Amino acid sequence: MTKSNSKRFGATVAVAAGLALAVPQANAQGGGTLVIGMTAGDLPITTGNPDQGFEGYRFVGYNLYDTLIGWDLSQGTKAAELRPGLATEWSIDPNNPKRWIFKLRPGVKWHDGCPFNADDVVWNMSRSTNDKAPEFDPNQFAQARAYLTNFAGVEKIDDLTVAMETKTIDSLFQFNMSYVMMVSRCRAQEVKYNWTDYANRPSGTGPYRFDKATPHQRMEMTPNKEYWDTKRIPKQDRLVLVPMPEASTRTAALLSGQVNWIEAPSPDAVARLKSSGMTIVTNPYPHNWTYQLNFVKGPFTDKRVRQAANYALNRSDMKEMLNGLMLEGYSTVPPSTPYYGKPKMYNYDLAKAKALLKEAGCLPCKVTFAISTSGSGQMQPLPMNELVKSNMEEAGFQVTLQTMDWNALLDITRAGVEKFSEIHGINVSRAAQDPFNALVRHVWSAAAAPKGANWGHYKTPEMDKLIGEIMGEFDTAKRNVLLTQMNEMMNEEAALIFVAHDINPRAMSPKVKGFVQAQSWFQDLTPVTVAP
Amino acid sequence: MSQTATLPASPDTFEDQAAPETKIRSYWQSVGYRLRHDKMTIFFGSIVILIVLAAIFAPLLAPFDPYKESIIGRLKPMGWRNHTLGTDELGRDMLTRLLYGGRVSLLMGIVPVIFATCVGGMLGVIAGFMGGRVNTGIMRTMDVFYAFPSVLLAVAISGAMGGGMLNGMLALTLVFIPPMCRVAETATTQVRSLDFIEAARATGAGTFIIVRHHVLGNVLGPVFIYASSLVSVSILLASGLSFLGLGVRPPTADWGLMLSTLRQSIYVVPVVCALPGLAIFVTSICFNLVSDGLRAAMDVRM
Amino acid sequence: MSRYILQRILYAIPIAFGVSVVCFSLVYLAPGDPLQTVLPPDATAETIEIVKKAYGFDKPLPIQFLIWLGKVVTGDFGMSIATRRPVLDEIIMALSNTGMLAMFAIPTAFTIGFLMGLLAGCFPGKWIDRGVTGTAVFGVSLPNYWLAIVMVIIFAVELSWLPATGMGPKGSAEFSIWRWSDTQFLVLPVITLSMIPIGIISRTTRAAIAEMRNQDFVQTLRAKGLSELAVIRHVIKNALPGVLAVMGLQFGYLLGGSILVETVFTWPGSGFLLSKAIINRDVPVLQGTILTLAIAFVMTNLIIDLLQSMIDPRIRRG
Repeated sequence: MTKSNSKRFGATVAVAAGLALAVPQANAQGGGTLVIGMTAGDLPITTGNPDQGFEGYRFVGYNLYDTLIGWDLSQGTKAAELRPGLATEWSIDPNNPKRWIFKLRPGVKWHDGCPFNADDVVWNMSRSTNDKAPEFDPNQFAQARAYLTNFAGVEKIDDLTVAMETKTIDSLFQFNMSYVMMVSRCRAQEVKYNWTDYANRPSGTGPYRFDKATPHQRMEMTPNKEYWDTKRIPKQDRLVLVPMPEASTRTAALLSGQVNWIEAPSPDAVARLKSSGMTIVTNPYPHNWTYQLNFVKGPFTDKRVRQAANYALNRSDMKEMLNGLMLEGYSTVPPSTPYYGKPKMYNYDLAKAKALLKEAGCLPCKVTFAISTSGSGQMQPLPMNELVKSNMEEAGFQVTLQTMDWNALLDITRAGVEKFSEIHGINVSRAAQDPFNALVRHVWSAAAAPKGANWGHYKTPEMDKLIGEIMGEFDTAKRNVLLTQMNEMMNEEAALIFVAHDINPRAMSPKVKGFVQAQSWFQDLTPVTVAP
Repeated sequence: MSQTATLPASPDTFEDQAAPETKIRSYWQSVGYRLRHDKMTIFFGSIVILIVLAAIFAPLLAPFDPYKESIIGRLKPMGWRNHTLGTDELGRDMLTRLLYGGRVSLLMGIVPVIFATCVGGMLGVIAGFMGGRVNTGIMRTMDVFYAFPSVLLAVAISGAMGGGMLNGMLALTLVFIPPMCRVAETATTQVRSLDFIEAARATGAGTFIIVRHHVLGNVLGPVFIYASSLVSVSILLASGLSFLGLGVRPPTADWGLMLSTLRQSIYVVPVVCALPGLAIFVTSICFNLVSDGLRAAMDVRM
Repeated sequence: MSRYILQRILYAIPIAFGVSVVCFSLVYLAPGDPLQTVLPPDATAETIEIVKKAYGFDKPLPIQFLIWLGKVVTGDFGMSIATRRPVLDEIIMALSNTGMLAMFAIPTAFTIGFLMGLLAGCFPGKWIDRGVTGTAVFGVSLPNYWLAIVMVIIFAVELSWLPATGMGPKGSAEFSIWRWSDTQFLVLPVITLSMIPIGIISRTTRAAIAEMRNQDFVQTLRAKGLSELAVIRHVIKNALPGVLAVMGLQFGYLLGGSILVETVFTWPGSGFLLSKAIINRDVPVLQGTILTLAIAFVMTNLIIDLLQSMIDPRIRRG
C-alpha cells in the first residue's frame, strides 16, 4: 500500500468508525417503547419474588430487582451461568462448610435513594422466613419457599458482608440464592409494611424502575439511569408488559401492531408471522417436557416398562407437528448443558419397545397420565400428549389421559404420589436451570413430595449416595463430573419419560433490535431498542 | 278454552263426556293442519331431523376414526385426500369430528332441556295448582335462581364444579328449571281458574283426574313450545361452556371445544376452523325456526 | 301505589339473601385448593397450612359465610388471593368497563332492533316482515364469540382497520370515549354484543306493534280520522313500555353474560374477571363478582318492574 493510499485508508477507517459510533448515539436518544405480550394470565406481582412462574421472574423479578447472585444473560452460545449480582463474591467458610460468606457490592442504591447494605439482606431473609417479624409477608413466604429449603439463618458480619447458614452441607445453595429477590427496606418501612400499598410503589435495585400499572392489563417500567451495572442500563425508553394467555390473541396483537414482542407464538401461526415480516427467535434452554413417573405403584415400577415407553416415542414426528419449534428430548437436560455427558439414548425403536413390554409381561400395559390444557413451559400440551398416547399405544400400552387445568395439575404435583396412586405419570415441564432443580429434586429421596419435587418417590441408595457427594463437592469442575454421572444414571434408569425440550420461541416486530437470546429461562431486555 | 258446563248424568259417566276429549282432539288436529301447510317449518324441521339422525348414526356415516391423528395430515384444506372438510390441528378428519361432535353438542343441548322441563314443569304445575303457601315457597325459591343471568349462572356452576360434560349438563339443567317452572306455573294458574275445572270439581272428579285431563292438556302446550325454544339457547350455552374450557375435555369431539382448539390454527386454514361455529349456528337457527313454527301452529290464543 | 313499591323493594331483600347464599356456596362446590394461585409449584403441605391460616380458610363453613356476609354488607369484599388488591376495587373497575360496552351496545341494539321491529310490525306478512324476522332469528342463533373471532380475523388481522384486543392503547385506566384511538377498541365488541339484543328486541317490538295495531283503540283512532302516521305514533307510545322492559333486561343479561365476548377480545370487564377468577380459583373475587352481578340484575329487574307498574298499573305482578 502506498503512503497516500494508506492515508486514505486510514481516513476511511476513521470515518467508518465515526459513523459506527454515531449510530448507537442516535438510537440511545430514541430507544422506543418495547411492548411485550406475555403468556401469563395476569401481571406478575411486584412485592419481591414474583408469581406467574418464571415468566414473572423474567419480566418483573429480574427487572425491578436484583439477587445476590445473578445470571449472565449476555450470550446465547452456551447455557447461562452464574455471575455476581448484589454480592461480588461468595464462598464457604473454610472452617464450616455449612456457612456461606457473601461480600456485598458497595455503592448500590435502591430506586428510592436509600443505600444498599448488609442490614437489607438480613431484613429481606426475615421477610420471607420469620413469621414473627413485622416485615413478614406470607405471600413471599410461599413464593420463595422452594429456594429456601436449606436456609437456616443469616447474620451480618459488617456493613458489606453477611454469612448464611445452611441446614445440610449444600454446594448447590448458591444456585438457590440466585432466585431470591432483594426488596427495599426503606420503601417497605415507608408504607408501614402494607404490602398492598408497596405493590403499587415497589422499589428495588434493578435496571428498571416501576412506573405504573393498570391491574390485569398493563405494567410500565422505565430505565434506572443510576443502575450499578452501567453496561446494563436499559436502552429502550419504556418497557410495557401486557398479559395475553391465549396464543391466538398474542398472534393477532403482534400482527395488528398492538405489541411488538410476543412470547411463545403458536407453532401454527409461525408461517403467517414470518410472511408478515416478523422475526422468530429460538434458542435451546434448560427446559424439559417429560413425564415424572410413579415409582410406588403401577407398571412404571418396572424399569423395562419405563424403557419401553421411552423407546416407543417418535420424537421427530412431534418436532414436525410443532413446525420445528422443539428439540427432541432424550434426557432430563438439553445437550447444551455442561453435565450432559453421554446418556443412554432411547432412539425411536418400536420393536424394542414391544419386546420390552412383552418381557415385562405388561400387555396391554394400562397407564394413566395427568396432563394440563396449558401452563408455563407446557408448550402445546394437548396435541403433544395425543401424539405420545398414540405412539405408546402402538407399542402395546393403553394410555388414559386425565386432562385438567394447570393449577389442578400443580395440586397433584405438590401432593405427591401417595394421594394419587392411580396416576402413573404427571406431565409437568420443569426448569432445569441449575443442578438442583435440573436433576437432584427429581430423584432425591429427601425431596419426596409433598416435601419436595420428587413426585413419584423415586428412591435408590446409589442415587442418594451420588447426590450426597454432589452436595459436598464445592469445586465446580469436579462437581460437573459427578453431575454428569448422575445424568447418565438417570437415563440408564429411565427415571422419566424423556420427550422434548422447548426452544424458547419468541416473535417480534422487525423494528425490535439488539436482543441476544440467552440459553436461560430469563432474558436480558436492557440492550433492546425499538426503531420508529 | 271455555265451554258451556254440562252436568254429567252421573259420576261414572264422567269419563264418557266426549266434549273435553273431542275438543282436545280437534285442537291437535288443527295444530297438525297448520303444521302441514307451513312450508318453512317443515323445511327446517327436516333439517333438524337430518342433523339429529346424522349425529345418532355418526359411527356409520363417518368416513374416518374421530380419534385417529396424523402428524403429516394436520390442518389440511377441504378436499385433501378424501377429507371432504379438511383436517384439524391433530390431523383428524373434520367431517368425522363434526358428526361425532354433533352427538355431544346435541346431547348437551337437549338433555338439560328435557330434565328441566320435567323437573321445572312438575314444580310449576304443583305450584300453580296448589296455590297459597306452596306456590309462594316454590316460586320464591325459583326467583332466587332467576336473579342470575343465565350465562353467568351456567358458567358459575360448572366453573365451580370444575367443568366436564356432566357438570355442564347439570349446570344447564339448573339454569333452565326456573324459567320452565315459571311458564308452567303461569299456564297452570290460568287454567285453574277456568270454568270447566269448576265443572269437573262439581262432578266430584278427583284432583288427579282433573290434573291429568284438563290441566296437563292445556299446560303441555306452552311448556312444550317454551322447551323447544330453549333447545337452541341450550346448544349455544353448552358450546359456550366448552369454548371456555368448562365443558367436555379433549380429545372428545364437541363443537364448542373444537372452536376453541382450532382458534390458534385460524391462520393456516381459516375456513376449516370456522366450520364448528357454522355447525353450531345452523343447528341453533333450525331449532329456533322450528320452535317458532310450532308456536304459530299451537298457539290458538295467547 | 307506594305500598306496592315498598312491597316490591322489601320482597327483593330475601331474594338478595338467597342469592348471597348461592354465591357463597357455589365456590365451595369446587374441587381443588383455592390457595393454588399464591403458592409456587413446589410448595409443601406445611407451607399450605401456614398460608391457609394467614388467609382465614381454616374456620368452619357457616362461620365463614356469616363473616363474609357481614363484611359484604359494609362493602368489604375481602382481598383477591391472586393480586391482593381489594376485591371491591377489582369489581368496580371491571364492572365499569363492561358497563362501557353495555352503554354502547344496548342503545345500538335498541335503535336498530326497534326500527326493524316497527317496520315488520307495520307490514305483517310482507317481505319486510320476513326479512326482519329472519335477521332476528339469525342474531339470536349466532354464537357471538364465534362472530367475534371471525371479525377479529377479518378486521384486525387482515385489514388492520381495527385493533384486535384490549381496551385502549394505554389500557382502561386512560380510556376516554372522546378519542378515536380509544373508542376504536369498542367497535368490534359492541357489534358482537348487540347481535342477540337486536334479535330479541326486534322480535318483541314486532309482536307488540302488530298486536297493538289490531287493538280496539286503534280502530277508534282511525275512525276519528287520524292519519296513519299519527296512529303509528300512538301505537309506538303504547308498545314502548314493554319493549323498554325487554331492553332493560338485556342490559342486565349483558352485564352478567358478557364473559364469552370479553374472553375473545381480552376486554377487562366483569366477565373477564370472572373467567380469570374461575381459572385461578380466586375465591373472594369469584364470590364478590357473582354476587355483584346477580344483585345488579335483581336491581335492574326491580327498577323495570316499578317503572312498568308506574306507567301501566295493569302490569303489576302479584
